[in-house]
Amino acid sequence: MTRRIRHIAGALGLITVAVVALAAPAGASGETIGGCAIDKAIEAEEHLPSLHEIHDEEFEAEFEALEKEMESCLEAPSAIIPELDEIIWGGTAFLVLFGFMVWKGFPAVQGAMNARADRIAADLDAAEQAKVDAVKIKTDHEAELSGAKAEAAGIIDDARAQADQLKGELQARANEEVAEMRARAAADLESARSQAISDLRGDVSQIAVGAAEAVIKANLDRDAQSALVNAYIDEVAGRG
Amino acid sequence: MPTSTKWPAVADDRLGGYADALLAVAAAEDASVVVEDELFRIGEALRSNEQLLAALSDRHLPIERRQGVVEDLLGSKASSTTTALVSMVVGTGRGGDLPAIVDEAVARSAAGRQKALARVRSAIELTDDQKSRLAQAIKQSTGTDVEIRVVIDESVLGGLVTEIGDDVIDGSVRRRMSQLRENFT
Repeated sequence: MTRRIRHIAGALGLITVAVVALAAPAGASGETIGGCAIDKAIEAEEHLPSLHEIHDEEFEAEFEALEKEMESCLEAPSAIIPELDEIIWGGTAFLVLFGFMVWKGFPAVQGAMNARADRIAADLDAAEQAKVDAVKIKTDHEAELSGAKAEAAGIIDDARAQADQLKGELQARANEEVAEMRARAAADLESARSQAISDLRGDVSQIAVGAAEAVIKANLDRDAQSALVNAYIDEVAGRG
Repeated sequence: MPTSTKWPAVADDRLGGYADALLAVAAAEDASVVVEDELFRIGEALRSNEQLLAALSDRHLPIERRQGVVEDLLGSKASSTTTALVSMVVGTGRGGDLPAIVDEAVARSAAGRQKALARVRSAIELTDDQKSRLAQAIKQSTGTDVEIRVVIDESVLGGLVTEIGDDVIDGSVRRRMSQLRENFT
């Protein structure tokens, strides 16, 4: 890069030197305004017999014509067609400059342009690669996002399923507890009822048996007792 | 129909020693029958009177005091030999074991006669004929010769409860009342 800049700077320096050097001869070959006026005057004097007769009306027209011709010295050369020497010097300088440019400048500029084009191409390639990478990253991210969304959806579905299952289990457990409580309450009620009936039967039987004992005790005289003993003896003997 | 139940057996070498001593003294005094009968009744009386049994086995009471209680209770109701034997057992500090010692002594005495002791609980006293027929009936049903010892126990109400070792033949009115009560409940 530095070498290329150095070549361009050298070419521009040579061009400047050539223009300055070739401009001086071109300027020297041109005619000055004073010289032009003198030439016009000499040429007019050669046509006029004497300047003392300038007051003569016959020469006033000639004088005006001379004046116009001298004034023409003040007019600029053609705006379009340069002088021949200028064309020669300018064309030569142009050719030299053009040759130099073809020899040194154009390759340098071409190289710089190529380098720039290569750089731009490389940048474009890098940009394209970056774009491709970005697209790939975007695609990957989209895929990951899609996967994450799918995973999140799966998690949500699992959570919902678990929630439903838990809800069902809780509901079932609650139902079981309610049923168990009802059964326990019914069992307690039945137990209390049975206990009350049992207690009542116990009390009744206690009273009845107590009354029976009292009656038996009052009616068991010695003969009855003896009869019971004899019956017992007979029963024991019968067991054999 | 009488029912049979198992009762825990009392077996203790020390009680056996006391029982043998009682029987030896009774035999030495030639009053085995009377002494055995009186000892049996005393044992049953103590078994049914927990306060008296606790008093005779209370180590906080002086031995002389406990022996004085025995002599006061038995002095006019039992033979002097029986009273002396009971007083001796109480004096050795075995008053609480007296029912078991007496049971062991009576059982060993019956065993000496090739018989088993049959404790019969009755609301009334049995006649000799009833005792004889009962012994015969028990032999028929169990094949064992028994010696009948009657315990008057009004709680049986009527009928008999016979205990032979661990076997119990319950034909009492009390048991029938209990069955009736169970049927009610």
